Amino acid sequence: MTDDIDHELVAKVVSAQDTAAFGELIRRHQSHVRNFLRKLSGDHSLADDLAQDCFMRAWDKIASFSGRGSFIGWMLKIAYNTFLQSKRKSKRYAEVLESAGHVADQASGAHTVPVHELNDLDRLLAVLDEEERAIIVMSYACGLSHREIGDATDMPVGTVKSIIFRGKEKIRAHFEIEDHQYG
Amino acid sequence: MLEALLLSSPVADDGFSRRIVRRLQRRLWVRRLTLPLAAMIGGALAFKPLTGLVSVLANLRVLVPNDIITATAGSIPQLQVVVLGAILLAAFLLGMRFLED
Repeated sequence: MTDDIDHELVAKVVSAQDTAAFGELIRRHQSHVRNFLRKLSGDHSLADDLAQDCFMRAWDKIASFSGRGSFIGWMLKIAYNTFLQSKRKSKRYAEVLESAGHVADQASGAHTVPVHELNDLDRLLAVLDEEERAIIVMSYACGLSHREIGDATDMPVGTVKSIIFRGKEKIRAHFEIEDHQYG
Repeated sequence: MLEALLLSSPVADDGFSRRIVRRLQRRLWVRRLTLPLAAMIGGALAFKPLTGLVSVLANLRVLVPNDIITATAGSIPQLQVVVLGAILLAAFLLGMRFLED
């Protein structure tokens, strides 16, 4: 049902460049996209800026949405790529600063939050690498199926499953959590 | 436990969608205005050289033997208007193609 409404709205956007229909799509999915980026970056204001860029890109690329998967899966794919690109940019910026003789701390720390500001969830996610974090957040926070995550990250379903397993193992090992506490 | 921790409360829109839609509408307006505006500016800039070109072409008529002109004018009425129209059309098409690129 949700997918049907999304597909209708996408059709309106593609056929008539309907900004109102696109606004409705944003209202329906902004929470998931912003939550995903917030958990990935650990920085709310950066995440919201990235989410804006991500929806602008979605507008440009919306004709390429095939409608085979869910719209939120497609959006999270754009969000993940937007995040990776911004991370690469800030890394390059840090390298340029460094080569120019500046201290690179400010720029390289653009996606990190001071340790004392981390909450329980941030501490859990901090033990994971970016890929594991993205996939675990897509799975547990956004409720995407393994297939949808595979589409979003361009990975086979088997790899997605093993990354989720590996991530959970890392968290378990790091925090010595018992099996039954996972749920 | 992991699921419970990751399940976060929905983020309120707080004008987020409205901001993006406004940004998009601005961008669409700029795109819609760019082509006609560029065509107007190009036309204004090209007007003077184009009239010069037309007068030069009109002067070239002196070089062509008179009997050819009368013979052609007899077979094609208002040749000058046709030539001028063709030149203007070619200039316009070239300009539009350039703008599209």
